[in-house]
Formats: sequence, C-alpha cells, structure tokens
Amino acid sequence: MNSVIVTQQPAGNAGGRPDVAATARRTIWAPSLIAYVLCMFFLAHSSAYHQGLLLVAAAYAMLALSLDLVAGTTGLYSLGHAGLFAIGAYGTAVLAERDHWSVFAALPVVVVAGAISGLLIGALSLRVSGLYFAITTLIFTIIVTVLVSNMSITGGYEGLSSPTFPSFSRSITSVVGSSLTWAVAGCLLLTIVVVWSIRSSAMYPVLLAIRDSERFASSVGVRTSLTKILLFGLSAAIAGLAGWAFCFLGFITPSQFDATASINVLVMVIVGGLNTRLGPIVGAAFVGLFPVVVSINSLWQEVIYGSIFIIVIVFFPEGFVGVVSRGGRWLLSRWSQRTDANVQPVGTGAPVLTPARNYVPLLRPALAGPVGGNGAAPAIEAAKAARGEPLLRPDRAQLGGVDGVTPALSAQAISFSYGGGVRVLDDVDLVVRRSTVHGLIGPNGSGKTTLVDILSGALFPETGTITINGHRAERLPSWQRADLGLMRTFQTAAMVGELSARDNVTIGLFNRYRRIGLRSPAWPMIPSARHDSRTMAASAMEALGAVGVRPSWARTRIADVPHGVEQLTQLATACVGRPSILILDEPLAGLSSDEVDQVATILNALRGSGVTTLIIEHQTRFIFDVCDEVTVLAAGQLVKSGSAAEVRVDTRVREVYLGQ
Amino acid sequence: MQILYTGLSMGAIYGLVAMAYAVVFYVTRVINFATGELLMLSVMVTTGLVQAHLPVGVAVLVALASSTATGAVIYFLAVRPVLNFDRFSFAWLVSTLGVGILLESMAGLIWGTTALGFPSMLYGRSVRFLGGSITWQQIMTIIVAVVLAAGIELFRTRTFAGKLGMAVSSDPETASAMGVSTARYAVFVFALGGLLAGTAGVLVGPISFANPYLGETYGIYGFVALMIGGIENPAASMAGGLVLGVLVTLAGTYINTLASDWFPFVVVALALLITPNGIFMSGGALRKAFARKTVPRPRLPAEQAL
Repeated sequence: MNSVIVTQQPAGNAGGRPDVAATARRTIWAPSLIAYVLCMFFLAHSSAYHQGLLLVAAAYAMLALSLDLVAGTTGLYSLGHAGLFAIGAYGTAVLAERDHWSVFAALPVVVVAGAISGLLIGALSLRVSGLYFAITTLIFTIIVTVLVSNMSITGGYEGLSSPTFPSFSRSITSVVGSSLTWAVAGCLLLTIVVVWSIRSSAMYPVLLAIRDSERFASSVGVRTSLTKILLFGLSAAIAGLAGWAFCFLGFITPSQFDATASINVLVMVIVGGLNTRLGPIVGAAFVGLFPVVVSINSLWQEVIYGSIFIIVIVFFPEGFVGVVSRGGRWLLSRWSQRTDANVQPVGTGAPVLTPARNYVPLLRPALAGPVGGNGAAPAIEAAKAARGEPLLRPDRAQLGGVDGVTPALSAQAISFSYGGGVRVLDDVDLVVRRSTVHGLIGPNGSGKTTLVDILSGALFPETGTITINGHRAERLPSWQRADLGLMRTFQTAAMVGELSARDNVTIGLFNRYRRIGLRSPAWPMIPSARHDSRTMAASAMEALGAVGVRPSWARTRIADVPHGVEQLTQLATACVGRPSILILDEPLAGLSSDEVDQVATILNALRGSGVTTLIIEHQTRFIFDVCDEVTVLAAGQLVKSGSAAEVRVDTRVREVYLGQ
Repeated sequence: MQILYTGLSMGAIYGLVAMAYAVVFYVTRVINFATGELLMLSVMVTTGLVQAHLPVGVAVLVALASSTATGAVIYFLAVRPVLNFDRFSFAWLVSTLGVGILLESMAGLIWGTTALGFPSMLYGRSVRFLGGSITWQQIMTIIVAVVLAAGIELFRTRTFAGKLGMAVSSDPETASAMGVSTARYAVFVFALGGLLAGTAGVLVGPISFANPYLGETYGIYGFVALMIGGIENPAASMAGGLVLGVLVTLAGTYINTLASDWFPFVVVALALLITPNGIFMSGGALRKAFARKTVPRPRLPAEQAL
C-alpha cells in the first residue's frame, strides 16, 4: 500500500555508520501516512462497488497481519484465525441486530472475546507444537463454524445480514465520504501500526529467538511461554477487530469462516511473504481481489488461481515481498561492502580472500594482554571511556552484597537421568568460586553438557541442590536464573540466522531493560523506547568489539557469517547483559588457534573484572593454562575437582581423560 | 452390527486417504493437500472411461495408473522446487493446495460439475453376517484397506528399504551422503500416495458417485483420520480412519444426521488434547502410560521448523 522499504532488520542505529534502512523508514513514514489518508479519501468518495471490494481486502489484510504476527515471528502457524475472525463478525452482528447494541459498544466486547479465545489457544501451544498446533487450531475453527451453522441466533447456514453502520450527517458525508470506509481504514491503520511497531521493537529479535531457539531465549531471561500466550492474545484481538470491520461489508455466512478460510489466510501470508511488513497486505489484496479482477468462467478462474499459487511458490518461495526484499538486501550488502572496503582496508596487505576463509585477520586483537597490564585493550578502553565503567564487569546489583567467601555457583549431590533410564549424572558436586575461571572436562558422554543444562535451568535435577549467588535455584526456571546473573552459551548453534550479529547480541540485553514486551506494540512512538533501541544497539556493537568481531560482520546476518564469528557472537551475547556468572559450553569448537588465544584473553579480562566463568572444553592445554580450578567428570561421576595444577598431575584423571 | 459394518467400510476409505497422506509425510515431511483430489481423479477417470464403453476392469486400472502418475507429477511440479529452496519452509502448503484447486477445476471443465453415475461393481450383492447385512463391496473395501495397511507397515518397519524412508525423513543430508537417492524415494512415496488415494476412489465410487468436489470432502475426512491416528505412522492412520468411520456413523444414527458433520471434529479435538501426537502413536500419552520408560526420541529438525 505504501512504499516503505522492507527489510528484515529491526530499527535501531548501530554505533558507526547509520543504518540505511532505518534512516529510510524514519524519513518515509510521514509521506506514507499522508498517501494512505489520501487513498482512503478517494476510496471514501468512490462507488459502493469499489468500496466494498477494497474494504473486504482491507479486513483480510488485518487478519493476515494478525496471523503473520504469530506465524512469522514465533512460528505458531495458527489455522484458528478464521474462527477468531468469526467471533468478531458474528459477535458484532448478533449484539447489534438482536440485542440492539451500538456497533461501537460491541467493538470492545468482540475484541476482548477474541483476545480471551486467543489466550486459551495460545496456552495450547505449550502442549502441542509445529504441525500439531496448526491442526489443533484448525479444529477450533471447525468447532466455531459448526456452532454458528447450527445455532438459531447466528442464523444457521443462511447467516446474518450485516448490521447498519452509523453514517455521518449528509453535509459531512459530502466532504469526507463514507463513514464505513474511514472506520475500516482506521482499523487497518491501527493494525499496521501495532504490528509494524512490534517488528521494529527490541522485542522482535526476542520473538525470533523464541521461534528459532527457545532455550536460547529463556537462557537470557525471556519467559517464553508467557510471551507466546500474550502475543497470541494480541493477534487474536486484532483478528476480532478484523471481524468487527468485516461484518459491515455484506452478508455473513458460516462458509466465510470455515477451515478453508483459515487455510486461505495462511496462504495469503505465505504468497505475500511470511515474516515481512508488507507481505500479508499484498497477499490479502491478491487473494481478496483476484476473483473480482479476473472475472471469467468460474472454473477457468479457479484454474488460473491454482496455477498462480504453484507458480508464485515454486519460483518465489519467499512470496512476493520476500523476493523484493531479498533483492534489496543484496543491493544493500553490495553497497555496504564497497563503503566498508573504502573505510577499513581488509587485513594487512594480505591478499583478499573470500570472507569464509579470511576471517582470522578480520578479528581485531581487541583485548591485547591481561587487564591491569600496561597493554590494556583499545576496545575496552574505548568502552570504559564511553560508559565510564568497564564493559565486562558484572552488575553489582546482581551480586547482592555477597561476600567473597560464598561460592558464585555451587551444586551439591546432583543426580539426573533422561526419562528414568541410564544415570547420566550420579551424585555430582561442583563448587565454582567467585571471580575464577573453572574448567569442566571429561570424555564425551561424561555428562558435562547435562550438568550445565541443569545449572542453567534447561533441565531439572532428580536430586541435589543448586545455589546461584547465594540463592537456592534448583527449582527455578531458566529465565529466573538469568535474573540471578547467570548467562550461558550453547555448544550447537543457537542464534537467529536471519538477524545480524548485532541484533542477536541485543537479545542478550533482554533482562537489562524494563518492559520491552509491554512497550513493543507502540515502540517507535515511545521516546524512551527509541532511546533504549539506540543504547541497546550501541552496547551490542561494543560487546562485539570487545570480543573482537569486526563492525562489518556485526551487520551481517548470522546465517552468512563464518563459524568463528558466530561463536564469538554467542560469547558477546552472553557477556553483553553483564552477568556475574558465565557458563560457556565448548566455546572453542571450530575456532582457529588465533581465535582460541582471543578467547583466552577475554576470559582473563572477565576474571579480572570479577566475572565467574565455568567452561566446558576439550582442549586440555587451554583448560590448564586458563583455568584456576578444574573439575573432571567421567561416566556421570566426579573424578576429581581441584586446582588446575593438582588435577593435571592426578593419576586417575590421566587415566580416564588424558589416556595416559 | 449394521452400524459397525457401515462405519468400518467408510472408515477404511478415510483410512486409505489418511495413509496416502502419511506415506508421503513419513518420508518427506510434506502433507500433500492434493491427496483428496487424487481420489476424485480416479473416480472421474473410471466414470469417464466406462461411459466411453471400456470394460470396468480396464477403466479401474487406468484410473489407478493416472492417480499414481499424478502423485509423482505433483512432487516434481509443486514440491521439489519448494524443498530445494528451503527444506523447512511451509511453502508446500500453498503449492499442493494450488495443485488441488487446479485438479478440481480442470475436472470440472472436462467432466462437468454435476454428479455422474459410477459402475456399481460389487454393491448389488450382500450377505448376512453376525446379525447385520454387508455388501461384498464393503467387505472388499475393508480387506483391501487392512491388507494395504499391514503391507505398508511391514515394508516400513521390517524391510531395509522401508527403514531407509525413516532415515530420509529424519536427516536427508546424511541419508543422501550414505548413497540413498532421496529424490527417487520421494517420487516413490508421492506415487504410492497417489495409488492409495486412487484405490480409495475406486472403492468409494459406487456410493459417492462422481463429481469434482469429492476431493474436498474425502480430503478433509482423510485428514481428520490422520490426526486421530497419528501422522508419523501409516498403519496408525488407517486405525484412525476406522475409528473415525465408526464415530461418524454412530453420530449420524444416534444424535442426528447433522451430527456427523461436527461430532468427529469434537472427538479429534479431545483426542489431540489428551494425546497431542495421535492416539496410536508411540509418543502418545496412552502408549507412554503403559510402555516401559525409555529415552525420549530427539525431536526431528523438521518438527522444530514447523
């Protein structure tokens, strides 16, 4: 509808070069709004036929936007939206026609009814996922259709005639046109503003993280279940609003809200472009207007319609808008590569290799030498200067005035088995003293990752206790442990591939800012939120700089960066929230020797600033060089725990792990 | 007893359609939404050829061949390009639906949209058995369905080629690295799905008559049967079909004729709430309650992506 540039990147401005797309969006919103109002003005004056046509498309656009809000961002492919749409439409028609309510009094009622149904359906998503969620929600739609087909107050199969919408007085109508057009236009605008605000908010990367890697999202402190339920509730409220607008546009019958209609809404979203700003609107316009624009023999029309589905999806699997934005991204990346090459020469006189092979020289030696030595890292210095405090220091508030004697992290008598089978951990103790680097080593299958999952709250122990910064934590969910100051990384990739490294790192800031989720539906309109976007982006760039990721990689999608950069980005994500305890699960896997040295430097810097680190690693030289203390596991049992020097010479450790 | 016979024979049809969905899904993780239209195709082709005075046997064979071939064509036309682009995307939903719309409207163009008669085959003759009467057609339907279900289940779990199918579904990259032609396997299951849907069509034709909109009806009922039984396992989906058939007949008899429209869906909703993965699935709650405790199966990437 409007010519807004569509990109996958949320708003926010990185330190350094301005984000082109964000700038474009900021300057274009006012002209777009004026164009929208002008279009609606012409529409409000046009013939009833054209009005009916476009307003129906507008109602479908709202419905498609609401579906994309849950399907595109959190991966909840709902087929219940036609049912929610029906609640809005039938609710209004029944209240207005039978009970003689004002249509405006019915509006909040149906929106709330939609939202409540949505919260219930959203709660289902905790039980069933993926395809089964789609099926279960489809059944909700079918039940609604069956109800409205068989109840007398909804008019059965014949349906209900649309309630009359109060029109403006004659003199006003002659100036501004039809009242209904303005009402629907306003609803659509409200929907667009809410959906697009969420897409540009700091919540958007978090939602994608819930979709792509729920454990990552909860490890940074996101209440993933609650978020999904509330988001679904919001989406359902919008679907109810769409239904309210729809019921004034003609007779309503059960067949408009049946299972086919539900699938059609998903088709609109996919054909237009899943998880894009304009995609659902374009898709709804296409599906809604097609039968009218191409009016020939209905069977031939269907033939063309089916063929277009196949052709669009086969040749443009990302939908109409996906293709356009992919082209735009390609141009943008070409452009930014050229400017980066001008600003920062790649490497030091080395031949220009393909990025995938050439990432080592690109990593700046950000932390050259231990903190406190005379060679303090320039990036850290810059960060200190910028914020007046060391970047990688734990937040004092999280330490809660704990004395230096209490261990940062301790686990006593932990036992665990998967599904009641083989004991994976058997009566394991682990004590990690404050401001130390603690190594956790052992042969493959010895239970290291399981122990870390239990410490971070991804799994719960069968027996045993866990204390984090002096708080008992063995029953706390992941997100509450994040609040206690514990952050972790994952052994396998757990980031959002389609977001840039910088946006991924901002996810790590989730529990450092207040009410990100609540503010997201109006994010760009709230000054404090815009300010938070900027500081989050700046902190993320800083953290990436501190771990040695070059700024040009920071703006590249994680799916396109080399493995080393991805690993370092994960480290930055865990560090950026300034945790007091950091758990790293094989952070060196796949890193080059230069990058390993880089990580060693970072760990030393973290220890110097008071952070406690627990690290799983297989490179024993690295472990014994960097760690203060080491714990050795074998076959789920504790073999030895002690200072690095002690463990290194222990005969049993040599036997079970070092193979000597 | 009468209700049971009718229900089981209808359920066998739903089960065949559900199996057509399931064989495709268990290998490719795609739900072929044109499956109902493949059933319709075999009904229409049989009718058309019989009207052209061909023997019924020949017509049935040609019909089965045509739906099998169409199944394979759907893979090449609408599924392969989508999966080549992104194995985890949901885009096949749109393209297979598109094929369904295309098939339905083309059938309408060729044979018209009014119902045509279908050769009655074995419907005329019936026998009395255990206090109810059952036609030979119904007996044949149930036998064919059960034999096919058992055969496919044996193939899937007992033969090497069948197990390869599971390997292809859980990790196509590794499977193809091991030398399995994943594309050939996918064509095979799409064709097999076409054959199963076609068989269902030939068996149901005598009572459904021939019209282009059969696909929608049986597509949906087959899909519900699939949900009741469980999507991963073709034999379980047949069981789901039989359960659905009996339920539909019971609802139609004891509640009212309209109840058969909504009663099955309510049952499915309840079934899914209790056992989210289908009643007869190994991961289902009922099974789990009785089975000895085992290590949970790791989630497949495709499931996470959906």
